[in-house]
Amino acid sequence: MNYARKVDARAKLDGSCKFLDDYSYPGMIHGYICYARFHHGIIRKIIFPSDFNLSEFVIVDYKDVPGSNIVPEPEKDQPFLAEKEILHWGQIILGIAHPDRELLKKFISKIQVEYSNLPALIDMHECLDDEQNIFGKEITIDHRLGLTIDPSWIRTRGIYYTPHQEQAYMETQGMIAIYDPDASSMFIRGTMQCPYFVKAAVEAIMGKTVAETVVETSEGIGGAFGGKEDFPNIIAGIAALLSYKSKKPVKIVLDRSDDIIITTKRHPSRVEIETFTNPAQKTIEKMTIDYRLDAGAYQTLSPVVLARGVLHSFGAYQVKDVFVRGRLLRSNTPPNGAFRGFGAPQAVFAIESHIDKIAAQLDLDPYDFKKINLLHSGSQMPTTQKIIDDHISDCLERVIANSDYQRKKDEFAIYNQQNRDKKGIGLAVCFHGGGYTGNGEKVLRSKVRLRIEKDARIRIFVVNTDMGQGAYTTLAQMVAESLDHPLELTSMELPNTSRAPDSGPTVASRTIYIVGNLLRELALDIKKSLAGSSLSTYVKTNPEMFPRDYFREFSPDPSVTFDEESFRGTGYRDYSWAAAVCEIKFHASTYHIEIRKFWNVLDIGRPVNIGIACGQVQGGNVQAFGYALTEFFQKKKFGRMHGFTDYTVPLSYDIPEIFLEFIHTDSPLAKGLGEIPMDYPAAAVRNAFHNATGIFIDEIPLTPERIFNQLRNQK
Amino acid sequence: MLLKLTVNNRKLELSVNDSMRLLDILRDELNLTGTKEGCGIGECGACTVIMNGQAVCSCLVLAAQAQDAVIETVENLSNDTRLSVLQEAFLTSGAVQCGFCTPGMLMSAKALLDRNPDPSEEEIKTALEGNLCRCTGYIQIIEAIKCAAQKMKNLKEN
Repeated sequence: MNYARKVDARAKLDGSCKFLDDYSYPGMIHGYICYARFHHGIIRKIIFPSDFNLSEFVIVDYKDVPGSNIVPEPEKDQPFLAEKEILHWGQIILGIAHPDRELLKKFISKIQVEYSNLPALIDMHECLDDEQNIFGKEITIDHRLGLTIDPSWIRTRGIYYTPHQEQAYMETQGMIAIYDPDASSMFIRGTMQCPYFVKAAVEAIMGKTVAETVVETSEGIGGAFGGKEDFPNIIAGIAALLSYKSKKPVKIVLDRSDDIIITTKRHPSRVEIETFTNPAQKTIEKMTIDYRLDAGAYQTLSPVVLARGVLHSFGAYQVKDVFVRGRLLRSNTPPNGAFRGFGAPQAVFAIESHIDKIAAQLDLDPYDFKKINLLHSGSQMPTTQKIIDDHISDCLERVIANSDYQRKKDEFAIYNQQNRDKKGIGLAVCFHGGGYTGNGEKVLRSKVRLRIEKDARIRIFVVNTDMGQGAYTTLAQMVAESLDHPLELTSMELPNTSRAPDSGPTVASRTIYIVGNLLRELALDIKKSLAGSSLSTYVKTNPEMFPRDYFREFSPDPSVTFDEESFRGTGYRDYSWAAAVCEIKFHASTYHIEIRKFWNVLDIGRPVNIGIACGQVQGGNVQAFGYALTEFFQKKKFGRMHGFTDYTVPLSYDIPEIFLEFIHTDSPLAKGLGEIPMDYPAAAVRNAFHNATGIFIDEIPLTPERIFNQLRNQK
Repeated sequence: MLLKLTVNNRKLELSVNDSMRLLDILRDELNLTGTKEGCGIGECGACTVIMNGQAVCSCLVLAAQAQDAVIETVENLSNDTRLSVLQEAFLTSGAVQCGFCTPGMLMSAKALLDRNPDPSEEEIKTALEGNLCRCTGYIQIIEAIKCAAQKMKNLKEN
């Protein structure tokens, strides 16, 4: 385990690190977008304001697209620029550029889009409750054994809802495009997670008009959390189009309110679970899950989110007879996309709330009930994947001990009898599959490149970006440690598609787990070739061999198979495991839940950098506290949120004490970490509220308004 | 208008548009791009600078309001070779993730420590309440400020 300092931190502390808006190029002009301010309709006419000199502006619409107007990744159904029909508020109609950004914004604010209105579906409950809205391909996991339901079995049913969640990265979306007509090339610089997705998008929109596209990230990427997985494709395409038409470098940086209104969010979900539990054995015999996501107006990433959601929906439990059905529903809201967890936080909230409900019906402590039903070595998931260790039980036992769960529970029961305010303690467990779902990594076949220079410096060429999660440090560490080489002589190059091979997107908790381990294997191979000497010595004694490039491609484990139709097989080769305990206080006069303490125990294999790992857990937890308590996106009568005044993310004084422990750290394998700390806290908070008050609330966020209404309805 | 102000110990006279924000003056006129724009309406604190000893959102200060002001930005915290005690504490505590909120966090923290060298945890949290961070969960930032205060105290006592 290593405590190395982050290699990129110094430049971020002295203000010298360049984020996208800090770049400037000679002759650069500003680009922006004009988007629909209605939910559904047909564009009739676009009227430009008459008090501006139109010839000063560069304007592009769908007719200017020389290539394809359909974003190529991931599901091919979303246009870059709207043609006739608008399917959601925020759908981009025009790209516009001008040297003066303020004038540009004024001009855009005065553009009138005339349209005829069509009926729109914007409420998440209306969308999710109505099966008429299903679109795309359904996923089922059918592990039914045809069990006859015994009359003694306890039936438990619940419908669990989760809302949109905004990534709220601090740096808004932005992209610079530089078209060079002489070289017929397009250079793109942006704040993004997936440079090769952006490259594919620009190649698609520009078609044959551009011979070469190169994508490079900005030096700093001001947070992403999934929000910069697929949306950058669209603005990169529009920036490229504007640069092509104007023959000037064009920079688009979104204002916060536009960024919040038009970009992707976490999918709202409705998960219905029905279980039958044997009251004598206290075992769950049968489970049926209907997992639904509001995809928004286009499918885009949603089928992939659905797949992960479904594969996490049954929870870390051994159940004999399971049937899961996963479906996408269409609404007239911007397409929902990637956000840390990727379908798993919705799934975990539902299953962990449900397990709490069964335990209450059986009059058992959730801990005792979980212990009986948890997956263990030799047990099988509904996908037929065999579990090979007891690490989830180990996480649970440790977190119970660390939090002094039993004593607290007894103490709170007494406190609650004597006080109007209530204290509660709640539990949640979960797993998170590392890397792409199913055969994804097999198809991706990530490639990495290392270059060893004449002075024994190692340069790492991959396209995985550091959006704050510490990839530039951890990847360099994995290479340096494998070669016993100083970290100071090992560095990540800025991701650039002309220099780095396609090591795949920076998503799915795969950067360390897939790309890092691939780099590690390559470094270990190099070490073997050094005939026992150190790299520095070897380079010195064999100067003719350097500089030299080394490559490696991901080779899938042939024993790992997954059937995309039946969803049987190995959903994920390796899982990270976690258990958490949450302590809350419910303030009876304000209906406010205060999270007081939070304990995490995780198995992520070997943490590469313990400081960075702790930061990931704390940051992920706090995003999840916002998800649990304050963050929601729709205001029924007034539309959507548009800033940090109405969309309230946690602040410095909302933070409880957070405790964390990593177990099984002696494992040789570094597994995924980025997402799992986001998956389980919402359920732990909800279960703690149930422990405090005896009330089940099956929808987050647990705002004072929701709690007030629920209490009123129960009276 | 003619704007006279002191930025990072430099006395300046600039001819600017009255409606320009201090943030734009720093970033566009003086090329001090360490100060970031996160929202433009004073909600996120990424653009925090110190003006006459107070931490302010530079997106909410118009040129005319900055007349004769003394401004300090993140670029003034370190010299070429050495980070300040506060910056060093951010580095060792792991308080930097994406780094976009960091300049604003540093300036809010510096304004606090300048007027209160020994703040309690509550006072630190209050000083940071206008600075959003979506990466860290604030814990390592609060830790860093505590460490910096302690270190400054030790330096003073020795």
